[in-house]
Amino acid sequence: FFSPTPLLSLTMARRYDASTTTFSPEGRLHQVEYAIEAINNAGTCVGILASDGIVMASEKRVTSGLLAPSKTSEKTYKLCDHAACTVAGLTADANILIDQARLRAGRYTYQYQEAIPVEQLVEHVCNYKQAYTQYGGLRPFGVAFLFAGYDSHHGFQLYQSDPSGNYSGWKATVIGANNQAGKSLLKTEYGAKPKSDDDDDAPEEMETEEDPAEEEIRVPDVTEALRLAVKVLSKTMDGTVPSPEKMELFTMTLAEDGEGCAHHILTEEESKKVVDDVEAEAASAGDA
Amino acid sequence: NDRLFVGLGGLATDVQTVDQLLKFRQNLYELREERQMSPKVFSNVLSNLLYEKRFGPYFIEPVVAGLDENNKPFLSGMDLIGAPVYTDDFVVTGTATGNMYGMCETLYKPDMEPEELFETLSQALLASVDRDALSGWGAVVHVITKDGVTSRELKGRQD
Repeated sequence: FFSPTPLLSLTMARRYDASTTTFSPEGRLHQVEYAIEAINNAGTCVGILASDGIVMASEKRVTSGLLAPSKTSEKTYKLCDHAACTVAGLTADANILIDQARLRAGRYTYQYQEAIPVEQLVEHVCNYKQAYTQYGGLRPFGVAFLFAGYDSHHGFQLYQSDPSGNYSGWKATVIGANNQAGKSLLKTEYGAKPKSDDDDDAPEEMETEEDPAEEEIRVPDVTEALRLAVKVLSKTMDGTVPSPEKMELFTMTLAEDGEGCAHHILTEEESKKVVDDVEAEAASAGDA
Repeated sequence: NDRLFVGLGGLATDVQTVDQLLKFRQNLYELREERQMSPKVFSNVLSNLLYEKRFGPYFIEPVVAGLDENNKPFLSGMDLIGAPVYTDDFVVTGTATGNMYGMCETLYKPDMEPEELFETLSQALLASVDRDALSGWGAVVHVITKDGVTSRELKGRQD
């Protein structure tokens, strides 16, 4: 994993970046890297693995007030009963891949009468993306996904994929605009013990005493993860004040009746409540 | 879903396969359209599915029953290559169709309440299968209303 910087060898790159299927002399695929750049300008998506589910928060980019409000969701998509994804990048490209994923999940269930394991679904989509980096002279898909899913083998899982067709599993991650800022915030905040009023200094002492390798990461529950996701999202978004209308919050948990998963996109009211909680927390931490 | 039922009668292996195929198509529809499939659409999907195998068909004769978006009842029956018949009173399939058509014509009245509907249907069904050597061994009746489904097992002659 390296961070792409086409600026260094721009003149050299120009000769090798026209076709996706050609390596550059430095051994890079420039088209793929440009595709990844396209995503860094797209609406941010945060994904966090919780003990009882998964949370995905996305930034909705409303480009015009004249746009008809979309019926349901513009960032989060259900792939099957036990998997969903959020999108960062070119929506048109994403629609093709989402359809592919849905078909794959359906066909697997038709063939095996079982739910497709999440990693297999992710790998299928990624293999499809990879084909566009090697064959046909077609450009890669300008989409990065966060896949959230549950299966009986590995429980809840969160995966990230990019235009190269590469994917990896995460406990928490960010894609889209300002993802580095988001990721660094997650690094410090994910698994941190919740601050109480009188031990602001204590946690830091404790951490230096314990051996970092032995320190257990405390996995948050969905409610906590939601707050953390909103916190991260508000940091990566342009505005200073996090606003519920610009965020799409999604949770996946096990259904109450034990049959399958519950996919829930928070209503504006519910989102507002989470945002208010985060603001209250920030305010009290600021005062302390 | 709980407002849409399909009865698949015929060769058991085809019953299973078509059931799985229908679930696949219905699932994909609901993912893409983000709404439930109405009975009329479902009936058409099934009809298409069967006609695709026009020259090597699935040996089933299905019945589709459900409530559409306005809670209006929908009924359709089909032959094994998907020729649909839409009625507003009753549809029958199976080995005892002759008997059932007779029983239904006689006993049917429009606008029955769920309880009376259940009685009528049960009588028609039991009487029909009793006189048919290839039918029998019990029955299940589902009554679909906008408030839910009530399923009851009938005790019939076990021969």
